[in-house]
Amino acid sequence: MKDSSTQSVQKQQAGVFEFARPLCLTATEDFRGFIAAHLGQGLLFVTASISVLAVFLIFFFVIGQSLPFFLNRGLAESVPRIKEFLTSTQWYPQRQAGPEYGARAIIIGSLYVTVCSLMLAVPIGLLAAIFLSDIAPFGLRQFCKPVIEILAAIPSVAYGVFAVMVLAPWMQNTLGFSSGTNALNASLILSVMALPTIISVAEDALSAAGRDIREASYALGATRAETMLLVVLPAAHSGIVAAIILGMMRAVGETMVVWMASGNASRIPSPWWDLSQSVRTLTATIAGELGEVPKNTDHYHVLFAIGLLLLVFTFGLNMCSEYFMGQFRKITGRR
Amino acid sequence: MRTGMRPVFDCVFTLLSAASVAFLIAALGIFLIPLCGKGMKAVVFRGTVEFRKMQSDRFNRRNEATLQNEILQTQQVRDEIYALVDHFSRGLDTQTLADQAKDLYRKYGDELRSRDLSRQQFADLRAAAKDIRDHLLAAFDSTDKAVVEEHLDAIEGLRHQPGFEKTPVETMFRLADDFREMIQKVDLSRREEYAEELAAVNKELFALFGPRPGQQRVLAMESYGATRWDVAQKHLRYLIWQEKWVPSPDGQTLQKVLIRRDDPEKGSFAKTELAPLFGLIEKNLAAALNPRLTFYWQYFIDDSTPGHYFGGVGPELLGTLMLTLLAMCFAVPLGIISAAYLVEYAGDNLAVRMIRICINTLAGVPSIVYGLFGLAFFVHYITKQPCILSASLTLALLVLPVIIRAAEEAIRAVPQSYREAAVGLGAGKFRTFATVTLPAAGPGILTGIILSVSRAAGETAPILFAGAVALGPVPNFTGKWWFQPTRALSYGCYDITVGDKLAAMVPHNQFGMVMTLIILVVCLNITAILIRMRLSKKLRGG
Repeated sequence: MKDSSTQSVQKQQAGVFEFARPLCLTATEDFRGFIAAHLGQGLLFVTASISVLAVFLIFFFVIGQSLPFFLNRGLAESVPRIKEFLTSTQWYPQRQAGPEYGARAIIIGSLYVTVCSLMLAVPIGLLAAIFLSDIAPFGLRQFCKPVIEILAAIPSVAYGVFAVMVLAPWMQNTLGFSSGTNALNASLILSVMALPTIISVAEDALSAAGRDIREASYALGATRAETMLLVVLPAAHSGIVAAIILGMMRAVGETMVVWMASGNASRIPSPWWDLSQSVRTLTATIAGELGEVPKNTDHYHVLFAIGLLLLVFTFGLNMCSEYFMGQFRKITGRR
Repeated sequence: MRTGMRPVFDCVFTLLSAASVAFLIAALGIFLIPLCGKGMKAVVFRGTVEFRKMQSDRFNRRNEATLQNEILQTQQVRDEIYALVDHFSRGLDTQTLADQAKDLYRKYGDELRSRDLSRQQFADLRAAAKDIRDHLLAAFDSTDKAVVEEHLDAIEGLRHQPGFEKTPVETMFRLADDFREMIQKVDLSRREEYAEELAAVNKELFALFGPRPGQQRVLAMESYGATRWDVAQKHLRYLIWQEKWVPSPDGQTLQKVLIRRDDPEKGSFAKTELAPLFGLIEKNLAAALNPRLTFYWQYFIDDSTPGHYFGGVGPELLGTLMLTLLAMCFAVPLGIISAAYLVEYAGDNLAVRMIRICINTLAGVPSIVYGLFGLAFFVHYITKQPCILSASLTLALLVLPVIIRAAEEAIRAVPQSYREAAVGLGAGKFRTFATVTLPAAGPGILTGIILSVSRAAGETAPILFAGAVALGPVPNFTGKWWFQPTRALSYGCYDITVGDKLAAMVPHNQFGMVMTLIILVVCLNITAILIRMRLSKKLRGG
């Protein structure tokens, strides 16, 4: 050992270098490395594709399980199932004689709660995003960020418990509603849940809109309000729209809160502005009924049809938000 | 004018923006304070001796000597109270008295039969006893004092007949005497009302002190009195104050008024022997229950009795941890590998764009649709029954996009110079990633993992149909534990507030479970936030 090291030192001194391994790979080694690298990359690709597989499986199973509902048709039924599903308000899937599967009231209930919650969440969310991106000092922002994160992280079932155990009794006793679990309750909680999403995406959009347009606006003598509302918001509008869509997705897809807080009455609120009425949403219908339904019955399949509706709806919203985000990136990228 | 308005408008705008952020912070406060405040009562409260009895019986936590001593002491105080009630109820509870009279008569009949008597004698004695019994029953039954006294006088007339000495009939005479004494004090016309009120009082006494010594109860919730001082005070209030509906001044509606039961004017037990009871209980309740500040940390590990009446959230917490950790076992490797591929290897071709779109779609799928999918695929095709494995797989799918995004961001944030240095030293692409990029991105990835753990722990909708149950055995790691359904905190929160009627009687336990879930999630999030803060400091070169 010692002998060989002294030997190599001698050789180095003589100007001859000796490496432990040859510098050149043999052909087999080279080939093996090539195969390993490409196989490895292929394997990584396959792993990354699992999410694609998952999406396809989700679509496959939800569509596959809901198709029988649309295809099975009782002899006595004159209207096609899909028409009944989308236009009728009669939701009596459990009735022995002639169950009815009209989901219009439920679809409208879902949209109703979502729109109501967004009416509160969008203005507050945008104002808060503006405050955090342009007005708040650094320290306050450092404090608010975790608050928003925790607000987003609190489980929906905890919000639901709050709605049932705290908000509903308060509404019933203090505000004098006949029932504490109603559309207003669900909308309020949903808006708080949608806020973090809206704020964080909108704030990113506002920050990315660039310092130069702000400075240009201030240089022209605009106040902060004018700068924000007339210059920065329009410049960042695609990001803002994406933020609102993402908030909407959160509100539409939310299950536990609406199940617990909305009252679950399958009817369209009338008059339409009366928020103190109970509504039922798509998500709550699935959550409430799937547990008690035997497999492969019409009722089981119609719940998957509702799931399909939700899936298609959120998928569409997702595509929209992708589009707007892409627009936004293009604009900010160019600047 | 317009120019003058501009600064005002600017000011208003700034104020509104600040107000919306204030609303946000207030919302968090409004939300967390009641839930956690009321939830803390499940852990920190003033436990009574009943609580310690329950702990000793159900969970084998005891200090035998002190407990027995305590029970003895409190029992003394209680006996005093029970004595008062018993004395009062003896005359009132005519049903028991009538049963007693009938029983005595039957016993006497048996006794007569065993004695050596002629037929005539037997019939006479028996007829006389029957006479006494009937008079007694009639007296117990009547609400008219004169009638009662008439019957009692008739019994008095029979008293000196020979043959009743040292027989059950003597006890019947004693009953009659007691009753005579009683009717002097009790307004017979209000006996029905007294009996009803007494039943209410007894119910509250039961709620306060539990079953009397010697009584055995099967249900856990009925085996102990008020285990908590706040509950005890609530029942004390019910015991002392009586709700009455009286016509309101306008004569149209009824309104609720609270009247003390021993109120000398209107109270239902005014001027009776029972009136001192209420003052006595009010004074001695603390001595009878011996409340002590208790820190019940075992709440987080204890099993609960049915309906979460007593005990804690141990099984739910354990079930949630099992579900979440198993889900992470699936999701973390997948997520990191996917992110590594997307950052380090993927170009910008159709397949990669497809993967990105799918990840975004996956992140946007409503949680209840995951639940549907979990039922239709994992439960029906893979595990064949709702169980931990199917629930975990569903949750893994749910958090996969979260982990991928977080890991992607973290790997992207590693400075390019690190990679260049590694490649410059002769490391290959894979070695660079495994030994340089991944460790450097570690804290960022860890943040993402922690956040997704908190997400998975809080989700309810995906596991509704895939393996969460409201009532089930305590999860354990024996056998094929992944093939059994489990309780989970998130589903438990739903069930305890909406589904379970029994739990509505113990709001502190309802809030306690929610608090446990919130604490779990918020702690995980704060950890993640702290890690990220340290990380950003490091990146800034601090």
